[in-house]
Amino acid sequence: MQPHEFKLNEDGLKAVLPPMEAEIMEYMWKVKVATAGDVYEYLKEKHETLRRSTVSILMNRLCERGLLKRSIETGRGGMRYVYSVATSKEEFEKKVVENILNALMSNFKEATVAYLSKIKK
Amino acid sequence: MLRLIFLAQLAITLVYLRRLGLLFVLGILLVLFGLYLWTITRILRGEHRKLSPDDMPWLYEGIVRMANKAGITTPEIYILDDYIPNAYSFRNSIVLSMGLFEVLDEEEILAVAAHEIGHIKNKDTILFPLVSYGRYFMFALALLNSLISQEALVSLVSFTFYLLYEVLRSDYLKQREFKADEAALRIISTPLALKRALEELKYYEDLRIEVKESAFPSIEPEIERPHQRSIFDTHPSYEERIWRIIAEVEAMNLRERILN
Repeated sequence: MQPHEFKLNEDGLKAVLPPMEAEIMEYMWKVKVATAGDVYEYLKEKHETLRRSTVSILMNRLCERGLLKRSIETGRGGMRYVYSVATSKEEFEKKVVENILNALMSNFKEATVAYLSKIKK
Repeated sequence: MLRLIFLAQLAITLVYLRRLGLLFVLGILLVLFGLYLWTITRILRGEHRKLSPDDMPWLYEGIVRMANKAGITTPEIYILDDYIPNAYSFRNSIVLSMGLFEVLDEEEILAVAAHEIGHIKNKDTILFPLVSYGRYFMFALALLNSLISQEALVSLVSFTFYLLYEVLRSDYLKQREFKADEAALRIISTPLALKRALEELKYYEDLRIEVKESAFPSIEPEIERPHQRSIFDTHPSYEERIWRIIAEVEAMNLRERILN
């Protein structure tokens, strides 16, 4: 997963992911494996107008971003998609920091080095 | 009407190109038939899984019940491994994508299946391929007529027939969609479930486009139907279908009240 954008005025995951995708990922990192229906039921408590379509689209988008994996589970009640986390929260955060620092080093090398040495002291 | 235009095109070819025209007609028919055979053997791919009664009893039994009500033999049901909600039918088979199960409830999924049963009952699974291959046939004849006859009038008439066929084909296919909805409303236990399903699918498509337009660079499958409606569209809009379903359900309720 390669974050392409960093929003300075947003907190936590929302700085690199759209708000609802960030909420889905927070939940997924907690439960590790879930169906879109489980995620919908969880988020519905907070977002009353949320629809199943929204959750399905966003979870599949997170799969395309490499944050989630989709597989088919066959059991009682038929077949269904099950989503699991493809990367841990720590790995993801590490990747975000690496990407941002790499971008800063290639665009503002001196200022970045100066600032890093300042905060190191 | 489509049949008439088709025959008129055929007549022009045979009148102006005579024996050569007949040979071309037979040749094109043979090629199209080969293409049809090649296509039908490739409809089912590895992503399709045949549904057995034990897989999803509510779905299997629901489809059996609706097929009986529609007076057709129980269709084969396939589940397609695709997260995008989609459904289609061919011969006596129905395909439902796994995406449908993520965004619709059981009643709505049965309503979507009922629409496909409607297509099978109305013989659309036989007619649609014929009408689709008919357009290639019409275009090939128009091209041949203008190239070989080298008469401006023949070319003009032949291409006009082809264009007319395209416009009428779109209208014909749209009307068949409405007819499949009407057939579905008669066999589902909750008629408004079809309306709810279409509203959700419309919401899904609209939202997906919105998400795609605001997306970071990523791989996005091309699933959306074009936004701009044109005279060559083969599907009516969701709004048209929803409006007709509401009108049909109202009429059904009124008939029931009068009869009781």
